Amino acid sequence: MPNIRIDGIDFEAEEGWTVLEVARILGLDIPTLCYDEGLSAWGGCRLCVVEIGEGDDTRLASSCTYPVQEGLVVRTASKRVVRARQVLMELLLASCPTSKVIQDLAAKMGVQRTRFKADWEDCVYCGLCVRICEEQMMAKAIGFADRGGKLKITTPFDKTSDVCRTCGGCIYICPACQLRCEGSDPSEVVCGRCYNAVQPTCLDHYEDYKCYMGLKGDCGTCITEKPEKETSVKIKK
Amino acid sequence: MKTIKDLKNHIASKVKERKAEKKKARVVISAGTCGQARGSLKVEQALREEVQKQGVEQKVEIKLSGCHGFCEAEPNLVIQPEGIFYQKLKPEDAAAIVSETLLGNRVVERLLYTDRDTKEKAVNEEDIPYYKKQLPLLLGSNSLIDPTSIDDYFSLGGYSGFLKVLDKMAPEEVIKEVKKSGLRGRGGAGFPAGYKWEFCKKAKGDVRYIVCNADEGDPGAYMDRSLLEGNPHAVIEGMLIGAYAMGGYEGWIYVRHEYPLAVKHVNIALEQARDRGLLGENILGSGFSFDIKLATGAGAFVCGEETALLASIEGRRGMPRQRPPFPVRKGLWGKPTNINNVETWANVPLIIKNGAGWFARIGTEGSKGTKIFSLVGKIRNTGLVEVPMGITLREIVYDIGGGIPDDGKFKAIQTGGPSGGCIPESLLDLPVDYDSLAQAGSIMGSGGMIVMDERTCMVDVARYFLNFLQDESCGKCLSCRKGIQKMLEIVTDITEGKATMEDLATLQELAEVVKDTTLCGLGQTAPNPVLATLRYFRDEYLDHVNKKKCEAAVCKELISSPCQHTCPIDTEAAVYIGLIAGGRYEEALEVIKKDNPFASVLARVCNHPCETRCRAGEGGEPIKIRNLKRFITDWGLNKGLKLKAEPAAKNGKGKVGIIGSGPAGLTCAFYLAQEGYEVTVFEKHPVAGGMLAVGVPEFRLPRDILKADIDYIKSAGVEIRTGCAVGKDLTMDDLSAQGYKAIFVATGAHKSLTLGVPGEEAQGVLPGMRVLTAINLGERIEIGKRVGVIGGGNSAVDAARAVLRTGMPESVTIFYRRTINEMPAYKEEVDASLEEGIKIEYLTAPKAVVAKDGKLSACEFIRMEMGAVDESGRRRPVPIEGSEFAVELDTLIVAIGEQPDASFAGKVWGLEFSRRGTLVVDSETLVSDRKEIFAGGDLVTGSNTVVDAVAAGKIAAESIDQFLSGEPVKREYRLTRPSRYVQPVELGEEELPKAEPPSMPHLPVAERKHNFKEVELGLTEEMAVREARRCLRCDLETQDGKDFLEKLKQDSAVAQEVMDA
Repeated sequence: MPNIRIDGIDFEAEEGWTVLEVARILGLDIPTLCYDEGLSAWGGCRLCVVEIGEGDDTRLASSCTYPVQEGLVVRTASKRVVRARQVLMELLLASCPTSKVIQDLAAKMGVQRTRFKADWEDCVYCGLCVRICEEQMMAKAIGFADRGGKLKITTPFDKTSDVCRTCGGCIYICPACQLRCEGSDPSEVVCGRCYNAVQPTCLDHYEDYKCYMGLKGDCGTCITEKPEKETSVKIKK
Repeated sequence: MKTIKDLKNHIASKVKERKAEKKKARVVISAGTCGQARGSLKVEQALREEVQKQGVEQKVEIKLSGCHGFCEAEPNLVIQPEGIFYQKLKPEDAAAIVSETLLGNRVVERLLYTDRDTKEKAVNEEDIPYYKKQLPLLLGSNSLIDPTSIDDYFSLGGYSGFLKVLDKMAPEEVIKEVKKSGLRGRGGAGFPAGYKWEFCKKAKGDVRYIVCNADEGDPGAYMDRSLLEGNPHAVIEGMLIGAYAMGGYEGWIYVRHEYPLAVKHVNIALEQARDRGLLGENILGSGFSFDIKLATGAGAFVCGEETALLASIEGRRGMPRQRPPFPVRKGLWGKPTNINNVETWANVPLIIKNGAGWFARIGTEGSKGTKIFSLVGKIRNTGLVEVPMGITLREIVYDIGGGIPDDGKFKAIQTGGPSGGCIPESLLDLPVDYDSLAQAGSIMGSGGMIVMDERTCMVDVARYFLNFLQDESCGKCLSCRKGIQKMLEIVTDITEGKATMEDLATLQELAEVVKDTTLCGLGQTAPNPVLATLRYFRDEYLDHVNKKKCEAAVCKELISSPCQHTCPIDTEAAVYIGLIAGGRYEEALEVIKKDNPFASVLARVCNHPCETRCRAGEGGEPIKIRNLKRFITDWGLNKGLKLKAEPAAKNGKGKVGIIGSGPAGLTCAFYLAQEGYEVTVFEKHPVAGGMLAVGVPEFRLPRDILKADIDYIKSAGVEIRTGCAVGKDLTMDDLSAQGYKAIFVATGAHKSLTLGVPGEEAQGVLPGMRVLTAINLGERIEIGKRVGVIGGGNSAVDAARAVLRTGMPESVTIFYRRTINEMPAYKEEVDASLEEGIKIEYLTAPKAVVAKDGKLSACEFIRMEMGAVDESGRRRPVPIEGSEFAVELDTLIVAIGEQPDASFAGKVWGLEFSRRGTLVVDSETLVSDRKEIFAGGDLVTGSNTVVDAVAAGKIAAESIDQFLSGEPVKREYRLTRPSRYVQPVELGEEELPKAEPPSMPHLPVAERKHNFKEVELGLTEEMAVREARRCLRCDLETQDGKDFLEKLKQDSAVAQEVMDA
């Protein structure tokens, strides 16, 4: 059974485990987006990168796909790792600014803005839907097609699938198309209220949080993050 | 063949046959994909017909082979056994080849390679400089064999490596041998092959796969294709040896379907190998079984990455996966798999045959053997080159590649394809091996080398490669897919002048993160083009961001048209050329005059940087922009148009004093006057114009033309006081006392440099400037009968032509230390001087002046030769020992350059001067150490062009205006844009082929030789319009320009509708 050292903790892991699994057992928090315990590891979002090795000869690798090996030395929160994750988070924010999952992840990591232009995409190509369809629903109805900027997730040859049972698993697991953050301008600022559960002022007026229910910016809470920007927000009485 | 002995006998018999055949003439035609594309099959057909016609089929054998590497010389062929190399063939050459060479044993001179510099003809491949420094261990066989014949391969001793391992070596010994050889993977990363083999052999598993990676996808790289097309059996033999060593069960060659000829030849070779019993069950009775299958890929770049390649063979989407586990442990279908690149496999038989020791002696400490590179881009000899590791980039570029075409200047070389890095000139002496390239921030990659010259913009290069990689990212990793997209977005912004310094920092950070976090080699190396250009060409990025300047004039949205962008004074050349083409001369005149108070002067004496980057000049002649400008300004003068400027109302902000009435001083004066300042110009000479009046001779710039421009400047309200030398007649304190709030100093560079040789002080040795000034001002100057002029610049040629016109000399000779190609003087002036009977002695440098009684009698010279290429990429002249000779002279004019004579200012004003005597100012704003004093022109730059002086005057005017308005003095940069767009003209079908520039009409030599009449007569209207119509109108290629065309189209559609109605 391989012995590994992770953030200075020596640990005897089971053969076949990944670094991420060890970290989670030890309570070391590594952010993930494309990872799901019930599915095979994919290693696409790169958020779970950790620093592998010692001394000058280290490299970053995705912990969800990295198998434990005897003598492995891992740092899960080195400067290099944290800096890299923050830039990756900015890329995710630029890709899908309205995803509540992404907004919350960003808030958790302390990322408050993205320096990149927003693309307003509906998909981050994390592949969760493809894997749930194949591995849990045994359907293989969808997959990746094409590459580069034309990459898409679709049925074979874009034809209506005869193996899809419209189970909805793909939508259930999607981090991008569900639960929209409708804050004032999600591409420019991460307010972090939802994640931090700071009581937003909209609760003074409503029974529920309003920001992700399509009543864009009405409560005004998220606006406080950017007081210098003039807005025409009115608080409903 | 059933036994090992059979194979041994067969190889021996084929080798013997080849030796015997040496007496027979054999024509080997280079017919790789590239050769075929250039028509080698037509040459083959013609040769066959010719051979038949002459009835010599029995005596001559014609063969098609793979690529011989020298793309530049395709189609080409080698005639064995003599090894005669004929190049750039046409089917018509067949008759001569057959009757002259094959039957007559004579060489056809015109088909031989001729060296560009030495003009020497090379009969054999080895004599051609391109091949001289190469070591073609692998590629060499290409020109010896027919790739579709296994017996041809046998005849070179092929498969004897496999025979050796089967017969005499245990698998462990084979691995040991490969390890000892130091062979590293040729696919890019350079992992030691022997160690990889050992890992694979030791990995747990019953089945092992052996894979050949032939998914070559870098733009401009084609060495693997060339090997597979030209010598597929070498790769198969290498794989057989590897399979034997590792216990391989099945082999795969993964080749892209875009390589049909390679696929065809590999399939034929596999079939033949199987036929001969070299593949299959129980090979040659040895008990070892192995076969190879071929998989064709769909052309995704990422499938060159090993895990993606394996996924693709398995029939899955070609996406990389995490390593470890490495393929040597868990590869194809989860079994141990060894993957090597085509070139690696092709090296294996050589190592086994000749021994590890032989191989390890080639190359460097860490990188053994040879490497094939495809040398492409801005290089004379395009082609495949195989060189020993450790050769320097300089040797590859200059000795093998022949340097940059059109005498361009080398800028960078991109190694390792799109994900490699650009290496700058300063690192040209870098030895080419895995580790040195990695240290320089690039990679060996699979061996693509793209050479770039000064017409290449490095930011644009980064953009180009990112664009390629963006499309090729498989999309799995966020960092690669989105990261490359965002890098491209930022770089595109930079090329369009929209980016800020913060964006540049973001780009750098993002590039580092993408490199760091991405799964596979594609993403990890994708930022290399950005990181390497940021490292070595940061200045270009800064120019784009801060100055909106693209030195190479490539980035469209930044430059609008190259002619306008390269003009130091932002002249809208494309606009006025468009107007000339449409016959709208008056508007053209306005456009010219708007940016240039010296329009008529510059139309004659400008060095026209606008023409250097003209798109029409790429593969043709640039538009003769200066001549077109002259046509318009002359037309304006004749019509009496725009002779006077509108004087502006005084703004009351103060008086400005300008010292020096040259192009810099008067331009500054003009624009300040237009802003409403009171401007006075002080000139020490009796005439205004500075160098234009005293330095440029009248036959190049007639005095009435100069006067017209100066009158125009005066009419804007500028006062010029001639004969008033500041420092002598007037002091700085006087100027302050008289209320001048700001001073612009532009006194030029009028002091001729001295030779620094003994005897120079002899009577009869004259500084070039003194001669020109005297002649221009009509002063008396003594010129002898035999005149020598030393120098190669404009002032040397001007001086020579001017003294000739005084009628005093009998002979005038210019002595220059380099050749005509390096002469800085304008080419047209040099040509004209030769016509006038002036002699030019090239490669000649003065050594001493010989005087008799203190009077010049002769000058001793030494012959020079062009030596080695120095750091600047130019050949340096070096003296030839013992070649001294004396020339008897009565007058020797020294015109090797000028420098400022600012001794009058120094201490009094407390200004800083450089060692070259130039005044030190802020290069952006031209403000000196004293905030109220500005300076520009030759005084600041040293001897320079007129247009740069005019530009300095414009900048100074802007700075002085800011200073006197109480604003911070800061240079503002804008995107280059024309103030208006002009409808383009369409060239008729019959006009296109005749689109050549008209040559400038000259006064006949006899009519001009002994007077100062202007030599160039100007274009006729017909010539000018014809030339203007040739313009490609680059200004219409920007978004603005396209919008204009779109609107034009809509307007004409509307007009049509109105007409119809």
